[in-house]
Amino acid sequence: MASIGVVAVTLFILGSFMLLNINVDHLTDEIKNQVEIIAYVEEDTPADEVDELRVAIIQLTDVEEVRFVSKDEALERLREKLGEMVEGYGEGRRNPLRDSFEIRTIIPEDIPAVAALLQSMPGIARVNYGAEVVESLFIFTGVLKWIGIAFMLGLALTAAFLIANTIKLTVNARAGEIMIMKYVGATEWFIRWPFVIEGILLGSIGALIPKLILSYLYAQTVSWAQFNLIFLPLVSPELIMGQMSTIMLTIGTVIGCLGSLVSMRRFLKV
Amino acid sequence: MVYPNGVKALDRVNINIDRGEFVFMVGESGAGKSTIIKLLCREFLPSSGSIRMFGRDIARFRRREVPMLRRSIGVVFQDFRLLTNRTVYDNVAFALQVIGASSREIRKRVPDALEMVGLTEKAHMKPLELSGGQQQRVCLARAIVNQPLLIIADEPTGNLDPKTSLGIIDTLRSINIRGTTVVMATHDKEVVDQMRQRVIALHAGQVIRDQRGGAYTYHGV
Repeated sequence: MASIGVVAVTLFILGSFMLLNINVDHLTDEIKNQVEIIAYVEEDTPADEVDELRVAIIQLTDVEEVRFVSKDEALERLREKLGEMVEGYGEGRRNPLRDSFEIRTIIPEDIPAVAALLQSMPGIARVNYGAEVVESLFIFTGVLKWIGIAFMLGLALTAAFLIANTIKLTVNARAGEIMIMKYVGATEWFIRWPFVIEGILLGSIGALIPKLILSYLYAQTVSWAQFNLIFLPLVSPELIMGQMSTIMLTIGTVIGCLGSLVSMRRFLKV
Repeated sequence: MVYPNGVKALDRVNINIDRGEFVFMVGESGAGKSTIIKLLCREFLPSSGSIRMFGRDIARFRRREVPMLRRSIGVVFQDFRLLTNRTVYDNVAFALQVIGASSREIRKRVPDALEMVGLTEKAHMKPLELSGGQQQRVCLARAIVNQPLLIIADEPTGNLDPKTSLGIIDTLRSINIRGTTVVMATHDKEVVDQMRQRVIALHAGQVIRDQRGGAYTYHGV
């Protein structure tokens, strides 16, 4: 019973961390996908040349999507944002804005390279993608991801160690019995299989408990966040809990099985 | 026989034991008795030389054949090694269960073994409710229930008083008379002297005497 508790607590921590990691990943992806390049077209470029530029940009390998924003549309957006402050422009006064392209890349990390390419294209006046912010964002999310992976590996190892140790205790408690079995000629598998089954049960029950708790808690958290933290897009439980359960049950079962096999080895030495 | 830690436990020991013999191995602690017993149980293999049992070199047994070898050997320990949470009957039956005997066989053989050692009345008691001598009889019953060809007893009377010891030896002797070979390590002088069986005396890992109808101490011829 105590062993199941140990396994459950360890796998609970591992599971929580997995959920956290998945959501951080999801969040950074969301942010990254919002990053785009704005390429301003030289003033007074004729419409057909602008269209040629558009075609040239879409043909760049890493570009996923190009949207043309005319200077009138840009002014309209500005007016929506700033209201009266832009009063008068476009009607009597000349529109000071430029035509531009909004460009998304297939992989957000390609943005700096694509921006450099655009900068060198004739007809493009200026390229803007918030260079420093974007580059440090990518470094930050990259580091975050590796830290997450390192933590999860560490926790999985800890879980394996704890489970193996716990099983070793139960094997130790029955060392006398195992010894007698050996002396009266029981085969190795005859001695081993009850412990292997015990390990598998220990691992899978120890995984099932935190799985149920985590499913419940995560669903609650997500529905709470939907109303209270609207800006925070969490991954919906339906999308990941199935996969999470499979992973946790697999880890539990495999670790339980391996743990008992490893702990048995010393006792089975002929 | 040299242990991995470099201790030389047995040196050029050459013993031949025939089927149906009753053999005492005597010698002070550290003389090599326990090493011989462990070698016979194939707990480990000799560092040089060979051991032939039932006509086969036991080093040649494959890993999964070792349990089959052990089924032909019954082992009796000085410290009994009984399962204290099971009854006498279950302790004896355990030896048959773990080798996959049918329940019909178990129901037939366990009472036979208990009768042989005189414990029929105590079948439903737990080991700790019994005296030391009775516990050793349970151990004996467990060793013979599988009808082995060889009984190995490692100081079976080491923890018992002289009278109880003789009772155990009598039982071993009656098992021996039915054709089972018995090898018993002991430093129980009284027992050895009374039985007048073959005595192999060990000292510092060497056989210093091998005498039929011998006594514990050697008085010359």
